[in-house]
Amino acid sequence: MSPIQKSFSERGTTRGQHSSMHQRGGYQRNVGPNGQRATARQQQQRKKRSCRFCDTKDVYIDYKNEKRLQRFISEQGKIIPRRITGTCARHQRQLVIAIKRARHLGLLAFVNDAVS
Amino acid sequence: MAQKQQIYETTFIVNASLDDAQIDAVIEKVKEVITKHNGEIMELVKWGRKRFAFPIKKKNNGFYVVCEFKSPGDLVARLERHFILEENIIRFLIIALDKKSLQARISGNDLLKQVTSTTSSTSGSPLITSQSDDLDPIAPLSQNEF
Repeated sequence: MSPIQKSFSERGTTRGQHSSMHQRGGYQRNVGPNGQRATARQQQQRKKRSCRFCDTKDVYIDYKNEKRLQRFISEQGKIIPRRITGTCARHQRQLVIAIKRARHLGLLAFVNDAVS
Repeated sequence: MAQKQQIYETTFIVNASLDDAQIDAVIEKVKEVITKHNGEIMELVKWGRKRFAFPIKKKNNGFYVVCEFKSPGDLVARLERHFILEENIIRFLIIALDKKSLQARISGNDLLKQVTSTTSSTSGSPLITSQSDDLDPIAPLSQNEF
């Protein structure tokens, strides 16, 4: 087998893998990295989350309310993605702006040191 | 020359190592800049000394002031310039308030309540220099604490 042929065949295999991944749906919901289903408990928890701001019918997220914003940043100071907090897209957009304003004013940290 | 007026909110941080009188002087100057250029101060609240989440200009504390004002747009640039030139102002933020944020924002008075509720009775003297409890168009909604 010539090297060119070999590389062709290799490419073929990788392509095949890719297409099989697409068939599986790539990032399918409720399926773990090894294809296992989420447990019933996990599914229940996932259903439970809802946007905190929608629940209280907030139309504006204030940067001055640092205590409230603190719930939406990690210990390191990162903004927590909405797939974890359950915030809706509209409110997450507002939240991100509020957090950044608060950071500018020194109300929230940009970075917190890792807990020793 | 009926210019379009908009409501803005500015938060600025004054050097906390100054005396109260000096801080007041800095705030007075800001008020002067606003009123001089056709601005109207709706609410001005001294939030008080607060610790920063991280050092800013090698300082760990700052005196926060929240001010709401109504003015034409050209004031913002002037005010920004004033903030930059004033050495005792460490940071500032000027934002325009739209209808929604006017309804739901935490007004300075609410902030003050929070502060006084957490650190009860720091001083008997009222810090509020609000000139417009009745001018306030919409009563701010009370925020639920989570």
